[in-house]
Amino acid sequence: MSRLKALFIVIASAILVFAAVPSFAKKAPKVITIGTLYASSGPFATSSTPQYEGLKFWVSQVNKEGGVFVKAFNKKIPVKLVAYDDQSKTATAGMLYNQLITRDHVDMLAADFGSVLTSVAVPLAKVHKVMLFDQTGTAAKFFTPDNPYVVLCSLPTSGKWPYALADFMIAKKIPRVAILYASNDFDQSQAVTLHDKLVKAGIKPVYYQAVPTSTSNYSVLIHSIQATKPDAVIEFGFPNNDIAFLQGLQASGVKFKMVFTIFPGQLFELLEKNVGAKALYYTYTYPTPPLLKYEKVDLGMGLSQFEQAFKKETGKEVNFLNVAGYNTGLIMQKTLETAPKFDQLAFRKAVTGFSGKLMTLDGKFEVDANGAQVGEMLPVAQFVPKGVGGIEMHIVYPPNMKTAEAVYPAP
Amino acid sequence: MLRRYFPSLGVILAIVAILLCLPHFYSNQSFLFNMMLYLALAEGLNIIYGFTGYLPFGYVGFFGAGAYGAAIAITLLHISPFFGVIIGGIAAVLIGIILIPLLRLSGAYFAIANLAASQALYFVVANPSLEKITQGPYGIDLSSVYNADASYYTMLGVLVFAMLLVAYMRNSNFGLSLLAIKEDQVTASLAGVNVVKARSIAWMLSAFVAGLSGAAFGWYTAVFYPSTVFSLDVSVFTIVFVLFGGIGTVAGPLVGTLILYSMYNFIGISTPQYFQLFYGLLIIVLVLFLPDGVASILQKGKVYVP
Amino acid sequence: MNLFAYTIIAGIMYGVFFGLVGLGLNIIFGVMRMINLAHGDVIMLGSFLAYWLYELLGFNPLLVVPVAVAVFFLVGFPLYYALVPRLLRSKDPEMLSFILFFGVSQVIEAVIIFAFGNNQRSIPFNVFGSAGFDIFGQRFPIAWLVTTLVALAAFGFIYWYLQHTRMGYATRAVMANRDEAMISGIDVNRISAVVFCMGLALASIAGIFSFFIIGASYPSMGPELTTVSFAIIVLGSLGNPLGTILGGLIYGVAIMFMQSYFSSWANILPYVLLIAVMLFKPEGLIGKAARSA
Repeated sequence: MSRLKALFIVIASAILVFAAVPSFAKKAPKVITIGTLYASSGPFATSSTPQYEGLKFWVSQVNKEGGVFVKAFNKKIPVKLVAYDDQSKTATAGMLYNQLITRDHVDMLAADFGSVLTSVAVPLAKVHKVMLFDQTGTAAKFFTPDNPYVVLCSLPTSGKWPYALADFMIAKKIPRVAILYASNDFDQSQAVTLHDKLVKAGIKPVYYQAVPTSTSNYSVLIHSIQATKPDAVIEFGFPNNDIAFLQGLQASGVKFKMVFTIFPGQLFELLEKNVGAKALYYTYTYPTPPLLKYEKVDLGMGLSQFEQAFKKETGKEVNFLNVAGYNTGLIMQKTLETAPKFDQLAFRKAVTGFSGKLMTLDGKFEVDANGAQVGEMLPVAQFVPKGVGGIEMHIVYPPNMKTAEAVYPAP
Repeated sequence: MLRRYFPSLGVILAIVAILLCLPHFYSNQSFLFNMMLYLALAEGLNIIYGFTGYLPFGYVGFFGAGAYGAAIAITLLHISPFFGVIIGGIAAVLIGIILIPLLRLSGAYFAIANLAASQALYFVVANPSLEKITQGPYGIDLSSVYNADASYYTMLGVLVFAMLLVAYMRNSNFGLSLLAIKEDQVTASLAGVNVVKARSIAWMLSAFVAGLSGAAFGWYTAVFYPSTVFSLDVSVFTIVFVLFGGIGTVAGPLVGTLILYSMYNFIGISTPQYFQLFYGLLIIVLVLFLPDGVASILQKGKVYVP
Repeated sequence: MNLFAYTIIAGIMYGVFFGLVGLGLNIIFGVMRMINLAHGDVIMLGSFLAYWLYELLGFNPLLVVPVAVAVFFLVGFPLYYALVPRLLRSKDPEMLSFILFFGVSQVIEAVIIFAFGNNQRSIPFNVFGSAGFDIFGQRFPIAWLVTTLVALAAFGFIYWYLQHTRMGYATRAVMANRDEAMISGIDVNRISAVVFCMGLALASIAGIFSFFIIGASYPSMGPELTTVSFAIIVLGSLGNPLGTILGGLIYGVAIMFMQSYFSSWANILPYVLLIAVMLFKPEGLIGKAARSA
């Protein structure tokens, strides 16, 4: 008998037990504890810290109103956040997730930023049967039918990110495309999707290469790409790669009709500070809140309200990861508000219940049967100059979200 | 004859007794696992550094080779995880054999060449063109064979094995001949010690311990990336723990790891930079004032350290 | 063909800069027979100094050079006298200094994270003007030219110092044989202290310009740079400062070719080169030195 089968039986029987035994009316806890990790140092610090700030902001907001409404106990209960620093290290993260589950006995678990630091939490959550609210870990392999204990709160799985981008390039009939990606799960899955979609539409990329994620100088690579005479250059990387790529592009003076990178749309300030607004002119990206504005929401604050309140509390401008962290809090809040019982599978069922019916400042929340996000879509946006030295962003695809025509080819 | 092993065996039994009982009182199994891991690595490093003076800065290379050796055996060859761990140890020994020529280099040259070797191995394992075998940079997923308790006791077994090895070296002629080589290579070889062979054996034993540890770690963690198991921090922590405790004894590395890793866990995790600052300063102070570690204070007072 | 020419020229400029990256490490090794394992962290310090002065006072990186030299001479002397003489008296100075400087490297990294946080920093390329310049029909950023010239100037200075000054003469004597130099009345400690400071200053200068060649700076970039530097000085020749430029050139051109033609394997190159040279030609490509057991 395969292990998978055995696992299925175990899970199925666990579900049966939970469903059949009438739940004892548990006493309401004094606080709801939420466990999470963040990285104050290491390669993920720049992304993890703001995400953690967003989640903390949500906690302080609900506690100001006396806590979060828990349907299972029919009253408001304050929230306590238990957070540890994993320093961007997966080994440390594994130990700390374990500590949160087995020692602190947290009621709900929120992952750290990104796939790498989320990866170690997924099997732990599954084994210990604790709901993991995955914030931004978008690797498709986390979401399997045999694991009900994970839900992706923000962003679709990374393989789905370039859907609109591919459609845009096909619609524009761009004949020569170069794809350069950093060799990691996140970027490779996007490169593969884009490549396959383009090939299906009869566009065979003229350049399709992986480089180590640690690459910090792109000058020679840019010249190798130029040698293949592409119209569009798509670079998939982490923030470090995008910065180095855009710097290299600017320094070499090489021009392409279209250039796309991932992170200007998520970490605009970091990118602008490192490469300057000029280097971003006519660059395409995936826009995310706050660049993408969702004001009509069912739960929590709309974007502009959030921007004001967040600035008032922390003194900082909002970036996407603040939004993502806050959004995770909202999803947890909705879960507690709707789950009739205070147990982990009831939480999961509650998530399925409101999936597709919830709009937050991060967009539409909708997950598939395995817990992967399918609601949020990443459109395509382009930066254009505004006034003297200024910059603004237009959404150029898909047509129903479009705010301006793409400037193609770039001048 | 066997009597001289008694003090060492006493230390080992005490450690095993603690690690068998503790999980019943202390629920953070993951901390205990990592503690055992570093205890085993410290003893493994002690085998090569303590007895031959070769400081393997790239010790993590064996650790990673073990984790990947085991993971490949489990995922591609469908071997049971327990035997996978042993295969991980063997994989590390194979890497050790390839690297035997590095032993021709001395002191700091060896340390740096070994560091370079571990980095090279990391980049090979993480290369996307090997995706079919190693999964490249995309990481290993062993969650289908995840078993916290079984891997915990396997790690305990690896630790016992590592401690027994060091106890043997501390009390046997083989260990003595290694120390003789470390003291003066020429005199030792004139006295009939086969220098190359003795050194190579110590090197492979040391690699074997790191490989077993890495494999057990991979099994326990279930999901890991090349950057996890080839992280230089593994080498760095192990070296600091061993230096602090004192080399060439069974107890020294154990004491060093118990103290420093506990400190790391209780102080370091909430404020890692303080800890980094602290162990940086600690290294400086140790080198300047106590180059033979904490154990040497006792030894100076004529106390026998097992 | 175009790409080939570009790769060679870029590789040469890249290589001259990496010669500078290794130079400070090699000069310290030559005189003291110690490997400064905090070398990469000193490079990082240089880049943070440049970033900080640029952000705060708008300093051009070229103006940071004298500041860095002053700072590292001020810090270097006390550091030398606090650590090194004590080490030299111990039973295994080579190994102990290796571990000690590793401790120093950890301290530097922690302190910089306290002071600046973990974000990466960079100085824009156009700080020397946004014009490019052409070599054989290939266009390069002006910042590369400035960096290459600074690196060449550093090598020129070291050449002048070693060949044409009294102190340089004494330095060469210490490099050749420390004990003999001491017997012949040279103040070995003073020479070593000066060279130690010089090594730190050279590393920090490499750091100032690292933005344009290596990319953005971050506090934990040190250890990797130390390893690369070591590979370069082993390639050139250990203990022969001027040989470093050869190591840098080989490294630079090789890595550019790897990036152009086998990009996914480029990061393995320095390590393989290092091991190969140490095993098969431990005296370096042009030198003697280097011990083996």
